[in-house]
Amino acid sequence: MLDPLATNLERYMDLLSARQKLVVSNIANADTPGYRTRDIDFQTELRTAIDPTHPLVSEVAGLKTKNDGNNVSIDRESRLLAENDIRFSIASNLMRSRLKTLRMSIEEGRSG
Amino acid sequence: MSLFSALSVSASGMAAERTRAELLTENLANAETTRTPAGGPYRRKDAVFVSTPVSSEFSSVFTSQFETQQQGVIVGEVTVDSRDPEMRYLPGHPDANAAGYVAFPRVNPAEDMVDLMSTSRNYQANVAAISTVKNMIQRSLDILR
Repeated sequence: MLDPLATNLERYMDLLSARQKLVVSNIANADTPGYRTRDIDFQTELRTAIDPTHPLVSEVAGLKTKNDGNNVSIDRESRLLAENDIRFSIASNLMRSRLKTLRMSIEEGRSG
Repeated sequence: MSLFSALSVSASGMAAERTRAELLTENLANAETTRTPAGGPYRRKDAVFVSTPVSSEFSSVFTSQFETQQQGVIVGEVTVDSRDPEMRYLPGHPDANAAGYVAFPRVNPAEDMVDLMSTSRNYQANVAAISTVKNMIQRSLDILR
């Protein structure tokens, strides 16, 4: 929309939201028999140029499966929840300062 | 792309965990109940969770294929323990049978307490998820401030 940096930030935030939604689903299904943890490959998705709102969702390998076939690890999901939140916060602050700069140049131009 | 559906998912998780907590406390309260309206001793209940696609009111208006990614949870069924009741020899008891045995529920308080703790932790995790997602939404709004 504005410049390459802002577009990248937008992609980054879209991807973070997509991942956060998966994390939230995993947490909600922590007790559902047979439910498998789902996630996206964040780095790969970020590098590829495809639509960030439709990332490739896959099952997470290497998690311990409980007796009921469920392999959600609340600890892993809590970590991701916090991590995504912080990343999103950084990105939104950057975006905000980007827009502030733009607004400032508009307003300075008006007064001068 | 909206994060609002994530709130519905967490809310469905909270509702399901709350239902399970209610059943577990019912089990604990009725661990020694020998008489029920249905006849016989109390039988242990438990909730079976089923994941289900969640759509918020907004997302159904917006066209969104990615809602399929969003798996909420509902209580699929409430199972009632079908095991034979535990027979205790208490001849003086009003519910004793001819041989002097009373049928007691097969409820293990330790098992229910452990399940209750895990339910409570999962409930907390859902609450934390809601508050995190809420923060993210708030921060996106702050971009324009």
